[in-house]
Amino acid sequence: MTEPRSKENHTIFLLTVGLLAWLIPGAGHLMIKENKRAIIISVTIILTFCAGLYVGSIGIINPSGAKPWYVAQIMNSPIVAALGYLAKTGDYSVFGKPNEIGQIYTSIAGLLNLLCIVNAVYLAHLCKIEAAGDSKCP
Amino acid sequence: MSITDALVMATFTIPEKIGTDPQSMLWLLPLVAAIAVVYKATKLPEIKAANFLKEAVILSGSIVVFMFVTALILYAIARLVIE
Repeated sequence: MTEPRSKENHTIFLLTVGLLAWLIPGAGHLMIKENKRAIIISVTIILTFCAGLYVGSIGIINPSGAKPWYVAQIMNSPIVAALGYLAKTGDYSVFGKPNEIGQIYTSIAGLLNLLCIVNAVYLAHLCKIEAAGDSKCP
Repeated sequence: MSITDALVMATFTIPEKIGTDPQSMLWLLPLVAAIAVVYKATKLPEIKAANFLKEAVILSGSIVVFMFVTALILYAIARLVIE
């Protein structure tokens, strides 16, 4: 049986889960020992994001010219900001259908990761409620 | 930088050639599969391979059918407006 966490510790725990889930897709679920979910989420989101980059090149990450897309893309991971900087400094211009498909893929991957971040934090919050029972949470 | 590294880098720095033909709509299918898989991974109370696959396939199919029906309706409306 696990000891119930204090309110402050629980808030820090939820923030850590959320931050980890943003840093690496699936890591938030891994932290709350939802290993199967973590693997599925991680593989699917990373593959979708890489498929977008493959189709459109890193030029599709455009922090200044395509801000709404960039907001969705950065939900994947902070690494996107580094890719955005790299794309800004080099000549990786992309137009037409590859740009469109690449942006849709990477942005949808980001929004799916946002869904997973919220889900991981929610499941982590449920851990506190179930803490008195036979919870599998850390 | 080795040849392999250069090839991997080139893969992500040069865009693919994709036309504006109807076949380009097939790029929708992997995205639908990804959405269904991640959604079901967050929603199912317990992940079991067979059940998970079944649920994800049903959701993917539902999305594709719904989009197809929507496209047909929009096409019919467009025809009515034009004629």
